[in-house]
Amino acid sequence: MPPKSETHASSATTGGTTAQFDPASDSIDLMFHILKVLPFSFLRPPRLRLKLPTFTLPSAMTVYSLILLTYFMVVSGIVYDVIVEPPGIGSTQDRFTGAVKPVVFLPGRVNGQYIIEGLSSGFMFVLGGVGIVLLDLALDKNRAKSVKVSYASAGVASVVISYVMSMLFVRIKIPGYLR
Amino acid sequence: MVAKTEKSAVDLLKSPGMTSLFKSLKLKTKQQELLIRVTILFLVYVLAFITRLFSVLRYESMIHEFDPYFNYRVTQFLTQKGFYEFWNWFDSESWYPLGRIVGGTLFPGLMVTAYLIYRTLQFLRFAIHIREVCVLTAPFFASNTTLVAYFFGKELWDSGAGLVAAVLIAICPGYISRSVAGSYDNEGVAIFALLLTFYLFVKAVNTGSLAFALASAFGYFYMVSAWGGYVFIINLIPLYVMVLLITGRYSMRLYVAYNCTYILGMLLAMQIRFVGFQHVQSGEHMAAMGVFFLMQVFYFLDWVKHLLNDPKLFHTFLRITVTCAVGLGAIALGVGTASGYISPWTGRFYSLLDPTYAKDHIPIIASVSEHQPTAWSSFMFDFHILLFLFPAGLYFCFKRLSDATIFIVMYGLTSMYFAGVMVRLILVATPAVCLISAIAVSATIKNLTQLVRAKSKASHSASGKGTISSKASSKGSLDQSLPFQRNGAIALLLGAFFLLSRYAIHCTWVTSEAYSSPSIVLAARGAHGNRVIFDDYREAYFWLRQNTPPDAKVMSWWDYGYQITAMGNRTVIVDNNTWNNTHIATVGRAMSSYEDEAYDIMRSLDVDYVLVVFGGVTGYSSDDINKFLWMVRIGGGVFPVIKEPDYLVNGEYRVDKGAAPKMLNCLMYKLSYYRFGEVTTEYGKPPGYDRARGVEIGNKDIKLEYLEEAFTTSNWIVRIYKVKPPNNRW
Repeated sequence: MPPKSETHASSATTGGTTAQFDPASDSIDLMFHILKVLPFSFLRPPRLRLKLPTFTLPSAMTVYSLILLTYFMVVSGIVYDVIVEPPGIGSTQDRFTGAVKPVVFLPGRVNGQYIIEGLSSGFMFVLGGVGIVLLDLALDKNRAKSVKVSYASAGVASVVISYVMSMLFVRIKIPGYLR
Repeated sequence: MVAKTEKSAVDLLKSPGMTSLFKSLKLKTKQQELLIRVTILFLVYVLAFITRLFSVLRYESMIHEFDPYFNYRVTQFLTQKGFYEFWNWFDSESWYPLGRIVGGTLFPGLMVTAYLIYRTLQFLRFAIHIREVCVLTAPFFASNTTLVAYFFGKELWDSGAGLVAAVLIAICPGYISRSVAGSYDNEGVAIFALLLTFYLFVKAVNTGSLAFALASAFGYFYMVSAWGGYVFIINLIPLYVMVLLITGRYSMRLYVAYNCTYILGMLLAMQIRFVGFQHVQSGEHMAAMGVFFLMQVFYFLDWVKHLLNDPKLFHTFLRITVTCAVGLGAIALGVGTASGYISPWTGRFYSLLDPTYAKDHIPIIASVSEHQPTAWSSFMFDFHILLFLFPAGLYFCFKRLSDATIFIVMYGLTSMYFAGVMVRLILVATPAVCLISAIAVSATIKNLTQLVRAKSKASHSASGKGTISSKASSKGSLDQSLPFQRNGAIALLLGAFFLLSRYAIHCTWVTSEAYSSPSIVLAARGAHGNRVIFDDYREAYFWLRQNTPPDAKVMSWWDYGYQITAMGNRTVIVDNNTWNNTHIATVGRAMSSYEDEAYDIMRSLDVDYVLVVFGGVTGYSSDDINKFLWMVRIGGGVFPVIKEPDYLVNGEYRVDKGAAPKMLNCLMYKLSYYRFGEVTTEYGKPPGYDRARGVEIGNKDIKLEYLEEAFTTSNWIVRIYKVKPPNNRW
């Protein structure tokens, strides 16, 4: 069978290349001998373990956490921040005293934001999502009861907080919301 | 609407109360479930249609916005003259003096769809005007989309998730924004086609069926005929296949599905004249082709592996083959690009991948308001609680990874990114967000109801027999259970229904307040809280139609081009099909020059009338003065004599006394504020007070030398000027 003989040959050559350290004197490669004499007579090669970088697929939940981070950035309007370059926090002048007050939310405009407000509301959205995930984790049968209770309460708390806060943000942003 | 959302959520649980209630009817559980499912789908179908009718009820049955007017005009042409005339139509009324080959430069899917619906209705002896068909096309297709969403959700997760997805997408503002009655635009049918293509493709991948792959190719054909957004499909599907290959999920089903869809879809897409040979010649479509060849290499390798039966030898063979294939592909791509056979990426495509590109290089893309990047509040406005549900749904997808869930995850992520880059692409993300959120809702509610039911079962059995209860406890459902498990679960269920009903309320509010205005008729709150209607646009266009010679040429900024040709029936210089940047820049240059220079440009373009939109009297903020800097930028991009700093004072754009002298004397300023200095707009303010910008204008004494005022609408929103003929030479 021709394929088999080929395998023998290939395995022999691969064996030769790996075993080039110890005997190798029977090699007929001239370059090899020159290399052996010239630099390695006074240079000692360090013991390296060089390997071709093997590509292992990350686990699903690692990918998920990365995705959650990306989602946070998209939802908080990072692209807007990069292109439009709004200030981190706005400011207004008080009509009567003339003092400059900081304004966190750019009011009235749906398609405009300051950096900080975007980040904080993006955080709220992610928090709500994490809350629902925690609720699902609390149902895992293989966990201790105290862990499950804490998961469930944390989940409920974060969903409630994120919903209330984001509604608050929207009411600041759009004064006539739901009216 | 609230009731319906809740109802569907309740129904999909098949809660024990419901079941016992239906037991009196002598239907089997399966039949009951089917009945409920069909009823819900029907209700959702109707709901999706009627929630889009706000604008028809509030105003009248009319076409909205800018682009739909062109589509409407083309559809009228199609119904009057027939298909062949439509295909060969050279439109001399736009882009004067260049004209436009309409048949070869549009996506005909929408018009042909409306035409077919119209003919069907005519055939059934329903004599209605083509305008009604055009107005109601988008809601009709939105209803169909809910059905596709149901089947897609069923394919991804289960029928419960499908039902929730149908409800969510029926009222999601992100989709409604583009599909209210009257917004007769490509997107209205395209989202249906997009979701249908994806659903059929996923179905083909899941089953390996040639029939579904073929259907998917036809769905793709419809999408290509309807909207330029088909580029998203032709890039997402290869990306998805690539991910499946990397994660080692290559299968014969995938091979069949992709090859059939790609080859047939490509051949079918070539039948659309506007797309033509782009599938083999344009850089945007090369990814699909590359993946197609890669699939063949994979298949070949699989075959060799089968023959060789030796892992080590196969490994070397694999390495050589993959290197050769990739190398050949790279060389082919390089040669194709260098020789000009493969066109490079277009600016729009490139600006999606690199959001800063359009800002620096293509002002005409960056100037459009719907191409702006998205702020968080737009997401909140369009998605509401789906923003929480989306990451949770992703989690459930990752928990149960399959070919289908990988697809929806990739669709959701890529489209969310694009939605972040451009506001209008929220539309593309909406189906994915709804589907993924539906998975989260469905899974969470299923968990909760299982808790409710498990506890009741356990307590029942405990009261019945002691042995079973001990068994149940050994299973770990009793001793590991949370405190107040049952009540807690019921409370959480109520909370979930509360959130869903808030979603429904939000969607209805947004639809009625924000997305149902035709933008051709403006509405404002009067001083006494009553609704004031400004119908100035149509007033001006009808004036043009009645009082100007039929061959008059009207110059305006490109936003109003489609409307002028469709409603005023007059020739325009530029319109919303921004295919010729130089022509638009010429108009921008005329608008931003002094009157005498502008007169030469207008003479060379044969302009008879100039139309400007002005909001100083009414406080309408999207008028030409606010768009003026874009005219300067676009004009300056082609004609360097126009320089943006000339119109600014210390980088600030002003129209009051402190404005730049060039600004105060340019054509646009003069035409907008002509005679405005005599008018008192607001009580307690000096005459010439601009309400849109809140300042008193800087140049109240405007004299026009080469133009004369022809018409100003009742609220001054549209002003039309006649270009005087040149003086007699003597």
